[in-house]
Amino acid sequence: MNPRGLGSWALLLAVGGIFGAVTGLPFGSGVLIAVVGGLGSGLLDRWPRRADVRSLAPVPVVVAFATVAALAPLGLLPELLAGAAGVAVLVWLADDIRRPAGGIRRSQLTLGVPALALGIAWASALLLPSTAASLGVAVALLVFVVAAIAYLIGAPRVFDREEPSVS
Amino acid sequence: MTLGSGEPETLLRWRFRSYLLLGAGAVLLVAAVALRTPVPVFLALPFLLAAPAAAFSGPRTTPRLTGRWGAEGSGPEVTIRGSVHPPDGLDPHNLRFDGPCPPGLREVAPAALEVRSDRLEFRLTWQALEPTIEVVAPPRIAWQDPAGLVERRAFVELPDLVVERYPPELLRLAGVRLRRTMVLPGETLSRHIGPAGEFYGIREATPADPARRINWSASARAGRLLTNDYQVDRTGDVLLVLDTRATSLGPAVDERLLAISRAAAAGIAESFLRAKSRVGLGVFGEFLSAVPLSSGRAQRGRIRAALLAARIDPASAPSERCAIALRRYFPPDVTTVVFSTLVDEASADLLPHLRLRGFPVVALSPSPLPVYPHVPPLSPEDEQLIGRLQQLLRRDQVARAWEEAPTVDWADYWSLAPFVNLLSRPATRRVG
Repeated sequence: MNPRGLGSWALLLAVGGIFGAVTGLPFGSGVLIAVVGGLGSGLLDRWPRRADVRSLAPVPVVVAFATVAALAPLGLLPELLAGAAGVAVLVWLADDIRRPAGGIRRSQLTLGVPALALGIAWASALLLPSTAASLGVAVALLVFVVAAIAYLIGAPRVFDREEPSVS
Repeated sequence: MTLGSGEPETLLRWRFRSYLLLGAGAVLLVAAVALRTPVPVFLALPFLLAAPAAAFSGPRTTPRLTGRWGAEGSGPEVTIRGSVHPPDGLDPHNLRFDGPCPPGLREVAPAALEVRSDRLEFRLTWQALEPTIEVVAPPRIAWQDPAGLVERRAFVELPDLVVERYPPELLRLAGVRLRRTMVLPGETLSRHIGPAGEFYGIREATPADPARRINWSASARAGRLLTNDYQVDRTGDVLLVLDTRATSLGPAVDERLLAISRAAAAGIAESFLRAKSRVGLGVFGEFLSAVPLSSGRAQRGRIRAALLAARIDPASAPSERCAIALRRYFPPDVTTVVFSTLVDEASADLLPHLRLRGFPVVALSPSPLPVYPHVPPLSPEDEQLIGRLQQLLRRDQVARAWEEAPTVDWADYWSLAPFVNLLSRPATRRVG
């Protein structure tokens, strides 16, 4: 087995396991769901020879973490762990064994922006007085994000920068 | 976006992972509202922000890569080595490389990549299935963020690269004596004083010939002045004719055999041009497309370009049209090599028409037997019987062609020894 990428995979499993544990589901079901999802993604990323099968590797872990997040109880710790699990997925994606080493180091912006936003959101949840406020934030985010996604996907030129004229 | 003329502009492309994360993020937000719990929102946040953040971390315009590359190897082995340099600010580690294998070549090993601080080096290992001459398209290179969320195609600026592989025997063709010759134009360097080289033949004397070159014995017998000719002072003419009309073999087999013929024609042209002979080319589909006789490096480029452009023409045309058109471009008596499969009457007809128009023809016919598509599973006896029948049919086609012109049945594509031997035979040359 290629030793590269094992660290980020272990991080994914560890964070997922802890996140599953705080759900409080009976018989450790939460841990099982998260770890099985993480293991499935890791194996799907490493074993198949076909590239189109490998491209589906993130699906199990995303589905597993989403399931755990939906079943998790209200609370600051589950919220923090949910965000950490999301960032762990990104770290695992950045540490691609088929790309040159050092992917995590080169993904500063891709990892840093979500982590920063997560920190702000969690601090807001910590400081705001009730869960109803968090729900209000979620609704506002939903509307904003759906509009932003629709706009960005429809207009990829948003990311283009006009080159200065040389003449 | 400002790019040079002719350079394609590329847009940022969201990859499957982006759609997956964005979709999961949206579903989590809906779940958070439906279940009245904020936990899914915290999981959704990284998923939703990662793709736009990755997009902003990449180049904001089409990256322009420069570099160099070349083909190495001998025989069927083809190794392409090269390197590309990304513009300032673009990390070569984030380049995704894809070097597609051209038709007629087979990928032996995956592309070997080595990332340096300022460039990406690549090595492609291919194998030529048959003799081939193919233009290699520049590799497809894209910037891709390390998490594989977004990518943007780069504009790769590399010089044209052509892979040529043909049987090694063609290098011996330079020694073949051609039927139609002329005095070598331009200055001819020789270590000898006066006319030098091997005796070539006797021809009619011209006023420009010095008296010491007159063959007095032969002149006395003939009753007119004849002069000796020496090989080193003369150059010959060769005409290569490719029959690109569609045959009953089907488009796939036709294209494959034409690719083999193109490679052989390139090798023959290269060999004669190196010996300072004049080479012309005729490509006959519905109409004739000709490269007139000439020599030198420029002619090599013209012939190569015409060969690379040659494709099977689905519209059929009578063989006589080819012979008539060839006479507009080429004088008679030029040694003519015809590349034709000879599998049907139309292609076999070409030989007598060329002969009647005064072209001494040698046919080089790539055999379709090795490239016939596989038939459904048959018993070994049936397969043997079909193979035997095909061989008999082929032998009959070649025998009929032999009645019109010397014909080489080219079944072993990596060897042209029978063809070189045929051209070298004294019976096929005419002295004087």
